[in-house]
Amino acid sequence: MNKEVQFDKLKLIIKPFVKNEEAFNNITEDTDFINDLQINSANLVDIVLDTEEAFDIEIDNESMEKMLTVKAAMEIIESKLATK
Amino acid sequence: MIGNDVVDLALAKYESNWQRKGFLDKIFTNNEQHQIHQSENPEELVWKLWSRKEAVYKIYNRQTKKRFFNPKIIECVTDEKVIVDNIVYFTRTEISADYIYSEAVTFKEDFDIVKEVSNPENLLKINGIPFYEVNGKVYSASKSHHGKYEKIIYLS
Repeated sequence: MNKEVQFDKLKLIIKPFVKNEEAFNNITEDTDFINDLQINSANLVDIVLDTEEAFDIEIDNESMEKMLTVKAAMEIIESKLATK
Repeated sequence: MIGNDVVDLALAKYESNWQRKGFLDKIFTNNEQHQIHQSENPEELVWKLWSRKEAVYKIYNRQTKKRFFNPKIIECVTDEKVIVDNIVYFTRTEISADYIYSEAVTFKEDFDIVKEVSNPENLLKINGIPFYEVNGKVYSASKSHHGKYEKIIYLS
């Protein structure tokens, strides 16, 4: 999957949980889910579950642990897709 | 050190579906999941355990400077004790019809000196960690906000 497609797909997953729309409109790889997008921490679970479904991958807790930024999420998706 | 976490139950119901497939398994240990399934009020227990884990995470994060999302490694082992990375923390929880509120401390005796912050303008952050200033002295503090509820406390 090309990186841009993957990024767009991820953005769609994140969107419903975002509390700071302005930060979402300026989203980059460095955007932090909690500090920038002000996503509720309980909703990080939903993002992980939705990511698993959308990409048909399994995100173990060791990977989930790092999933706090767009960059980390992108890397996890990429590595899980590669080992599929 | 001190940590706290409040859950606005109406907002939690609106924002999260804890019955969603996979949800509990990502957050809770087998033992905690077992307790939830056995409980007469599973929803209340979900948010009670969650708020205890979050309150402890705040202390652990400040102590270790480690930032992560993995509530499962923070285990509520008794109604009071929570263990992460072999370190024991103490928690106490207040449950009402509208909110669930937990406080966590590193030493049990510290519960006796937990106070509510009356002048939030005297809160300050040092390296991202909250403190409360009273008469020129600074004390470990913690702030939690969810929906209609905000709780700010410090160790006096």
